[in-house]
Amino acid sequence: MANLKEIQRQIKSVSNTQKTTRAMKLVSTAKLRRAEELAKRSRLFAQKTNQVIAEIAGRIKCSKVGGIENRCFIENSAPETIDIIFVTADKGLCGGFNMQTIKAVKRLMSEYKNKNVKIRLRGIGKKGIEFFNYNQVEMIDEVKNLSSAPDMQRSSDFMTRSINDFKEGKIDAVYLVYNGYKNVITQELHVNRILPVNVESYDCEKVTNTMLELEAQDEEKMLDSLITKYAEFNMYYALIDSVAAEHSARMQAMDAATNNAKEMVNSLKVKFNKARQESITTELIEIISGVESMK
Amino acid sequence: METLQLEVLTPSGPIYNGLAKSVTLPGEEGEFGVLPEHVSLTTLLQAGVVDIQKENGKTESIVVNWGVVQITNNKVVVLVDGAVAIRGESEGDIAKALDEAKSLINSITDSNVMFATVSARIESAAHNLV
Repeated sequence: MANLKEIQRQIKSVSNTQKTTRAMKLVSTAKLRRAEELAKRSRLFAQKTNQVIAEIAGRIKCSKVGGIENRCFIENSAPETIDIIFVTADKGLCGGFNMQTIKAVKRLMSEYKNKNVKIRLRGIGKKGIEFFNYNQVEMIDEVKNLSSAPDMQRSSDFMTRSINDFKEGKIDAVYLVYNGYKNVITQELHVNRILPVNVESYDCEKVTNTMLELEAQDEEKMLDSLITKYAEFNMYYALIDSVAAEHSARMQAMDAATNNAKEMVNSLKVKFNKARQESITTELIEIISGVESMK
Repeated sequence: METLQLEVLTPSGPIYNGLAKSVTLPGEEGEFGVLPEHVSLTTLLQAGVVDIQKENGKTESIVVNWGVVQITNNKVVVLVDGAVAIRGESEGDIAKALDEAKSLINSITDSNVMFATVSARIESAAHNLV
């Protein structure tokens, strides 16, 4: 009989878990819709900004615009210090979402450590920060509660610190690692080099003869403010993309958990019924044998 | 009549996407107009009003606070930080847009002259609408 009670308790506990995970899934679905909308609206702006920057960078590389020596556009083959910025979620229970980002960061770190490059780690999101703190990896910047509620002002402030260090020459590259939203069931890991602007893929042959008109006196100023906006916006976009991805990952994880709980309840029910039948049979045998012995 | 493809984008989404006969932009060094078949150009914008002459002859004004414009192959892409379009169904809507536009400009500039100039432009744009 003790066994029966034990199984019953388990069934109850598992179905309670199922209720929780189902509720979490519904919450994530609702939040995802909003986050997705936000990310979609910003995507176009992000693409265009990157296009404009890439165009300028490409032209500088192909020396169509001479005399520009802005660090942001010049490929540095031997960086000494780099910034790695990562974005993770503030909360867990979203499958491998955070771990994927953390693994990518670790890969990037070991890759650069082998080259004897000094790495400065800057983190956004509780989960990633906790992980690196636990593993005693030093971080120069930690921001919590930003990845769950992206805010242009705060993300710009955060990014500005890296941009300024880059402009002053303290660091030679800025990498941004985050898990972005692809569609409802897939997330896409992004490892982007924000600074210097990536021009490797730019094909000089393709440069048409349309002139990029930059006036000599303000080109430095223009590039400066443009690059700042570009970096800041990329940071912000990474945040909103990451939120959307986080919700989609959590939705999936919770869906899987709900299904698993359902299966578990079913198998426990079978187990319970078997045990019940068994105990009835034993009782019957006891009664019958009792009667037999009375005869 | 030739037209150009115009896109005005902000971080929170596109504000205008369509064909236009001409567009006037508040460049860093002064206002400039863009007609179809303009040469390629990339330049910064300052706070001000973007006037769009639409295909149907109507004009639309969008107030921007900072931005960059890229003109290539008859396509004008305006990337701005913040923008408010002066449009609306009723006078109430327009008045609301006006207030928003003014506070947008006010939030980025502390120069009274600039604020006054842009405000005047906004007011006149709204007048044309009513």
